[in-house]
Amino acid sequence: MPKNQFKTRLQIAKDKLSKKNLDSKNQNSSSFGAAFKLSTELVAAVAVGTIIGFILDKTFGTKPWLIIIFFFVGVVSGIINVIRSAKKMQR
Amino acid sequence: MATNPMTQFEVYRIGPEIKVGAFDISFTNASLFMVISSIAILIIFNLGSKKNSLLPNKLQLLAELSYTFISKMIGDTAGSQARPYFAFIFSLFMFVLFCNMFGMIPYTFTVTSHIIVTFMLASFIFIGVTIIGFIKHGFGYLKLFVPSGVPAVLLPLIVIIEIISYLSRPISLSVRLFANMMAGHTMMKVFGGFVVSLGIVGGWLPLSFSVALTGLEILVAFLQAYVFAILTCIYLNDALNLHH
Repeated sequence: MPKNQFKTRLQIAKDKLSKKNLDSKNQNSSSFGAAFKLSTELVAAVAVGTIIGFILDKTFGTKPWLIIIFFFVGVVSGIINVIRSAKKMQR
Repeated sequence: MATNPMTQFEVYRIGPEIKVGAFDISFTNASLFMVISSIAILIIFNLGSKKNSLLPNKLQLLAELSYTFISKMIGDTAGSQARPYFAFIFSLFMFVLFCNMFGMIPYTFTVTSHIIVTFMLASFIFIGVTIIGFIKHGFGYLKLFVPSGVPAVLLPLIVIIEIISYLSRPISLSVRLFANMMAGHTMMKVFGGFVVSLGIVGGWLPLSFSVALTGLEILVAFLQAYVFAILTCIYLNDALNLHH
């Protein structure tokens, strides 16, 4: 009996250790990458919004208005992007 | 040449000029370094996987380590459904990594410091992922743009925002890699120029900076390839398992 008990305890301890190792490793390598990810996400959405506004302005001939509107929509979607990926990181 | 930090990014033609229609498809130094890195990958992984000894030599270890690294990354981010795309993500990661790393050798050309190269890669991924999503879910893939639980008044605005955030994916993917590589290499060149202009008296400080920057750049070169691959996995995951 005591031998079995020891075996189970060893197994539990090993499981814990491996889990811990896995967690810490994952965090280290991807958190640095995540920082890069957040910074460009915000800018890219603004750029895309502005480009869409510019194209729509050219096709419809409503010179300054759509680019202004889509710029702000792009800002909103950039912020949403950042919030979303930050939430994904927390999980 | 030493004075202008941007001359290292110049693309010039090697060999004869080839034109197809209006397009200039001559062989340039950029294409040369793409070919070199592809050949290097092929050689390393062919030699590494040639004989599977129980006690691996260095090349085999390298090949096996990178295999498990990528396969674990795919398993963590995209799940078992993304298994069939392993080959694509693996070669993508290796290509970007080798291009970045070859750029770290002095007098070489960094392919990934040109936005057209990274944008081509990113838009290829973007179009591919979109096609996979449509094949997998049919027109239900468009549900990605309509989050649940949104009041009907706000819906048009939300859909526009979602479309913009979807379209911004290839741009953020490509700009990240390109900007990191270009900024790093420009900075290294600028500090190298400081060493030359300050001479033997004051040149030691920028020289030590240059050494530190080289280490940082090697880290960034690896990390950007990793981020590029992991984001491909995340986008693939979004296309394969639709839940928003």
